Amino acid sequence: MTKEEVNGATEDEQQAQSKKALKKQQKEAEKAAKKAEKQAKLAAEQQSADEDDFAKDRYGLSAMVQSQQKLDRVLVRVQDLTPEKVDQLIWLRARVHTSRAKGKQCFLVLRQQQFNVQALVAVGDRASKQMVKFAANITKESIVDVEAMVRKVEQKIESCSQQDVELHIERIFVISQAEPRLPLQLEDAVRPDGEGEEEGRATVNQDTRLDNRVIDLRTTTSQAIFRLQSGVCQLFRDTLTNKGFVEIQTPKIISAASEGGANVFTVSYFKSSAYLAQSPQLYKQMCICADFDKVFCVGPVFRAEDSNTHRHLTEFVGLDIEMAFNYHYHEVIESITDTMVQIFKGLRDNFQTEIQTVNKQFPSEPFKFLEPTLRLEYTEALAMLREAGVEMGDEDDLSTPNEKLLGRLVKEKYDTDFYVLDKYPLAVRPFYTMPDPTNPKYSNSYDMFMRGEEILSGAQRIHDAQLLTERAQHHQIDLEKIKSYIDSFRYGAPPHGGGGIGLERVCMLYLGLHNVRQTSMFPRDPKRLTP
Amino acid sequence: MSMYQVKPVCPDIKIDLPTCMYKLPNIHTRQGNSCSPDHALQNGDVDPAVKALEARQDEIMRKLYELKAAVEGLAKTVTTPDADLDVTVSSSLSSQSSSCAIFKGTTNLDALLGKDLGALRDIVINANPAKPPLTLLVLHGLLCQRYRVLSTVHVHSSVSGVRPQLLSCLGPKHADSYARHMFQLGFTLIWKDVPKPQMKFSVRNMCPIEGEANVARFLFKLLAPYPSDPALATLVDSWVDTAFYQLADGSAKERAAVLRAVNSALGRGPWLSGPEFSLADVACYCCLLQNGSAASTAANVQRWIKSCENLGHFGPAQLLVK
Repeated sequence: MTKEEVNGATEDEQQAQSKKALKKQQKEAEKAAKKAEKQAKLAAEQQSADEDDFAKDRYGLSAMVQSQQKLDRVLVRVQDLTPEKVDQLIWLRARVHTSRAKGKQCFLVLRQQQFNVQALVAVGDRASKQMVKFAANITKESIVDVEAMVRKVEQKIESCSQQDVELHIERIFVISQAEPRLPLQLEDAVRPDGEGEEEGRATVNQDTRLDNRVIDLRTTTSQAIFRLQSGVCQLFRDTLTNKGFVEIQTPKIISAASEGGANVFTVSYFKSSAYLAQSPQLYKQMCICADFDKVFCVGPVFRAEDSNTHRHLTEFVGLDIEMAFNYHYHEVIESITDTMVQIFKGLRDNFQTEIQTVNKQFPSEPFKFLEPTLRLEYTEALAMLREAGVEMGDEDDLSTPNEKLLGRLVKEKYDTDFYVLDKYPLAVRPFYTMPDPTNPKYSNSYDMFMRGEEILSGAQRIHDAQLLTERAQHHQIDLEKIKSYIDSFRYGAPPHGGGGIGLERVCMLYLGLHNVRQTSMFPRDPKRLTP
Repeated sequence: MSMYQVKPVCPDIKIDLPTCMYKLPNIHTRQGNSCSPDHALQNGDVDPAVKALEARQDEIMRKLYELKAAVEGLAKTVTTPDADLDVTVSSSLSSQSSSCAIFKGTTNLDALLGKDLGALRDIVINANPAKPPLTLLVLHGLLCQRYRVLSTVHVHSSVSGVRPQLLSCLGPKHADSYARHMFQLGFTLIWKDVPKPQMKFSVRNMCPIEGEANVARFLFKLLAPYPSDPALATLVDSWVDTAFYQLADGSAKERAAVLRAVNSALGRGPWLSGPEFSLADVACYCCLLQNGSAASTAANVQRWIKSCENLGHFGPAQLLVK
C-alpha cells in the first residue's frame, strides 16, 4: 500500500466525515428552523389569542378569596339542579370531578358532596377556543365558580346523580386549585371490592385511604357512611330524650382505672399520673345514685388494648346508657333494645339513599330486625351451638368464632340480625354484675349482637355496698383502689342497670362493612396516631 | 307313556327336615309313582295349590289397583285445587276404618321434638299480617291448654305497621315470661313479608315447613298423635287440604261444592272425620270463618259450626276476623 493511497484513504475518510458532519449540521439547522417556526407559531397563536380572545374575561384563575367584597350572588346547590331549573342562568360552586376535552368541546363533571352534574364548555359565541382549553386544563378536585345555563338533556346521563339536566358554562373561574398529582383517585377509591382485580383496575388500600383521609372522605361512599353515622347519633339522642333520659358529660381523665386496671392509658398529670377513661360507667352509676333516674352520654372512650383486628380501636365513641328500674332488669333491656330498634327504623326510613350508596361499593344484605327484639338465654345459645357440633362448657364464655356461628344460627331460625343474649354465667362477667337470684352460676347480664358481633355488654349492677365488697374480694380486687366506687352505694342506691355501645361498630355492622376503620373518621389503633 | 319300570335305587330313608322353613307336602310321595309335576302341566291340568296362589295374587293386585285409584283421586285434589274431591273415594275409605279416637294418645314432647338439651324448644312461625293464619292461632290456644307455652309476637323489619290485634293475638303476656327456661315450649310468631306461612324449628335437622296446612299438621301432632288407622289419617289430611285449597282460596263455585261435601259428611257423624273432633274440623272452620261464608249454609254445617263454637277453641280466630 503506497503513501498516496493512504492519504487518499484519509482524505476519503475526511470527506466522509465532513459529509456526516454536514448532514448533522443540516439536520440541526432544520430542527432549529422547525423549532423557531413552532415558537413563532406559538407566539403568533399566543398573540392572536391575546388579541382576539373575545371571551378573555369569562374565565381565569380568580384571586384568592380574602373577603375582598361581599357579593350577593346566589349559588345554587348541585342537588337542586332539577328539570324545574331548565333555561335558567345560575351560579354554582363545585369541585371538578373529571374533565374531558374533545375538539371544540370540553365536558366537565362538577361535584358537590355526593351529587354531581355534567357541564359543557363549547366554542361558540360565549366561549372561545382558549376558554375551552383553559377548562380542559383545570386540575381534578379544584374548586370552581361557574355561571351556566341549565339545559334539559335528551338522554339521561347515567354517570351523574343529576340525570335530567346539564350545564352550558358561560363563565368559569378557579377558586382553589388542586395539585395536579392526587395521592389517590376518587374513582379508584369507590370501586367495589373485587371488581378492580378482575378488570386490572386499581383499588386503593386501607392505609393509603387513611393516610390521605381528606381526599378519601370526599368519596360518595365516605360521605354516605358519615352522614349515616351522624344519623345514628341523632336518633340515639332523640329516642332517649323522648324516653325521659338526661344527657350527661363525664370526665375523661380519671384517677383510677374503672375496670380492674388493665387496658388503660396512663397520662402524666402534673406531678403524678392519671388515666384516660375506658368507660364512663362509674360516673353513670353515680348519676343514678344522685337521682337522675335515667342517663345517657355520648363521648370518647379509650382502650389500651394492643389488638389489631377489624373491630378494635384504641379510641372510639361510646354511646352509654344507665337507668334505674323498678323490679326487674328486663326493664333496662327493653329500654335499650327499643332504642336500638328506633335507630334501625329511623335509618331504614330516612337514610335509604346513603345505605344504597354504601351498598354499591360494599354490597351487603339489608339489616333485618324484629320488634320487640328477640331475647334468648345463654343456655339456649349453648344448646344451639352444641346441636351444631360445638363443644363448650356450661360456664365458658363465647369465643368470637362461636359468636359468629351463633349469629348465623339465630339468623337462620329467626331471620334477625339483632338479638339479645341474656343470663351470662357469673364467672365470665365483671365483679359488679348482679348474680341471678335463683341460680348462683348465672348472672343478670346480657350482650347484644348485630350480625353476629357483640355491640353492647351490660348488666344489672350490684347496688349494695356489702355484696359489692364480697364480689370484689371474690375477684381478688384491691378494695382500696375501688373504695370510692363502693362508697357511692352506701347512702341508698336504686336498683339499676345499663350498657355501652360503640358508635363505630354499630355503623359498621348496620352497613355490613368489614372494618371499623371505615366508620371512624380519623381512626386510632395501636399502629396509627395520624392524621 | 310307557317306560321301563325300575325299582327305587335307595330304600325309604327318614330325613330330618329343618323346621325353620315353610313346609310343603312332598311332591314325590303325594304324586305317587304314576306322574311328575311336568306331567300335570302337560295335561293342562293346573295344580290346585298354584291356582290358590294365583287367586291370592289377583286379589292383592286388585286391592293395589283400588288403592292406587284412591291415592290418585286424592292427589288430583292436592295438585289441582280445581278438581273436586272424590267424595266416594274418601267415604269408601272411611267406611272401612275402625273407630279410632283422636286426642286419646298421650304425646311426649321429647319423642316428637327430639331430646331436651336443657333449653327452650322454640317453634318459630313466620306469617304475613295481610293473611293471619287463623288455624295456627287456634292450635296455639290448644297447645297452651296442654303445655306451658311461652308465646311471643314479633314484627319483622320487612313489614311496617301491623294492626294492634295482630300484636296481641297470642293473648296476654305470661307472668313468668322473663324466664324462658321455665317453659316447655316456645311459640314465636313473627309477622313478616312471606308469601305463605312458614315454620322453623330445628334449623340444623329440619327444613322449614311451608304452608299453613302443613304447619297445622305439625302442631296438631304435638296435641294428639295422628290416627293409627291410615284411612282415617288420610281422610283428615284430605279435609285439611280441601279446606286450604278450595274453601279458602277456591272460587265461589268450588266453595259451594266443598260446602255440599261438608254437609253430606256431617250427615254421617258429628265431626268431619267421624266421631272425634280433629284437625279437619279446625281447618275447615277457620277457612269458613276467613272467607265469611259461614252464614247461609246447610243445616248440618250450621249445627257443626255451633258445636265448634261451643268448644271454645276458636276465640282467638274469631277476634281477628272481627
